[in-house]
Amino acid sequence: MRRLTRRQRVAAIVLAVVALCFITLDLGGGALRDTHTGVRGALGSLYRGTDAVLGPARRWLQGVPSAGTNTSRIEQLRQDNARLRGRIAALESDQRTTGQLAKLQRAADGTGHQLLAARVIAYGPGQGFDWTVTLDVGTRSGVRAGQTVTDGAGLVGRVLHADSDSSVVLLAADPGSGVGVRDVRSGELGVANGQGVDGFSFLPLRPDARVRVGDQLETGPTGASSYVAGLAVGTVSAVRTSADGTVRATVTPTTSPTAVDLVAVIVDGAAGVAERAPLTPAGHR
Amino acid sequence: MTRARVAAAMAGIITALLLQATLIGPVTAPVPVCLPAVVVAAVALVDGPATGMSFGFAAGLVADLGSPHAAGILALCWLGVGLVCGKFAQRRTVRRDALWAGIVSGLASSVAALLLVLVHRGGTAADAIVYLVPAIGADVVLALGAVALLRRMLHSEPLRAPHPVFTELAVGPHRG
Repeated sequence: MRRLTRRQRVAAIVLAVVALCFITLDLGGGALRDTHTGVRGALGSLYRGTDAVLGPARRWLQGVPSAGTNTSRIEQLRQDNARLRGRIAALESDQRTTGQLAKLQRAADGTGHQLLAARVIAYGPGQGFDWTVTLDVGTRSGVRAGQTVTDGAGLVGRVLHADSDSSVVLLAADPGSGVGVRDVRSGELGVANGQGVDGFSFLPLRPDARVRVGDQLETGPTGASSYVAGLAVGTVSAVRTSADGTVRATVTPTTSPTAVDLVAVIVDGAAGVAERAPLTPAGHR
Repeated sequence: MTRARVAAAMAGIITALLLQATLIGPVTAPVPVCLPAVVVAAVALVDGPATGMSFGFAAGLVADLGSPHAAGILALCWLGVGLVCGKFAQRRTVRRDALWAGIVSGLASSVAALLLVLVHRGGTAADAIVYLVPAIGADVVLALGAVALLRRMLHSEPLRAPHPVFTELAVGPHRG
């Protein structure tokens, strides 16, 4: 240990007293306020210049301890984002459902049919070879084979078979099925054959019938169609006349066969019979 | 004291304060690691108590005036750092000096924190105690570099002390 000289001891005491005087002066009043301001201003300028050089290194060093935390936080935010996106999609779906329900209600009110609202719970095209969808209603709700299914705007298909709590619907656009239809403009009857995603191919019963692009087709009258009459099937988008004069038209479906969600089973129309039921409002579940 | 030593001392104070404010302080918060105190300790360990005291007082006063708290608190604490390190300097290995510098500057930081609590300038006495050991540890790490660097600088020809420090002479007891 070094010994302090007398001068060093005196210097230490003097400096300590000066420091205490500074503390007293600064605490007692604002005697050193201007000095503080000046030094802070000078150092502030130097800090800014230094920070411009050292800032990136400092930020990197500050980020090192929280690197792992940030990873987990990013993961958590991703999950939150996915959940919120799912919520938005669900809300949009609910909004669509509300619109469809209103449409179904209007359809029920307008036609007087008894409609049973149902939701598509499974699709056939992706799993099997036929164009079917499965509904969440069955015989307990009054669903029977042969009943017509609509989405409120147009024809969806007909019930192929029904279990107690579910039923399978053959879509009208099934390539193997045909729908008896009528051209609304000309009244010509014909058959609309399912073409899958392409819609229908319309073949009038009278070979020389005049079919135009834009003609609306709807399910034919009783006896001419196995569906309830008067449901929109589609719109003629192209007409082709073969060499022998046979007319064949391409029909864009009113209801997309691959985008059905909320539908209604017309429970008062027996298979193949379009009844003139009493005008009762829809019996939604 | 030569002009070169004065200029070097001023440059050392400013550099230490700038590094403390823009790099060391933000990175090590809330542990009160203090580079200027470590530099004061390292200078005192090389040049003795006289240089240590004056360097510590000057550095502390500049730091005080650049801070919102009352001037004189850091000047008093770092004066103590210079005095203690200069008095107890053994000029042994860099590691031992760094350990000593870290301990003294860490203790000085805690004392400064307690003084600031006393003058009602933020912080708590509990913080000063809780962070004492981490502050000493970090100060020792800083001192490893600072002591080695300052030893080399202060032993260079332009910055060497003009006269040998009197207390460095090992005077043994006279034998009859």
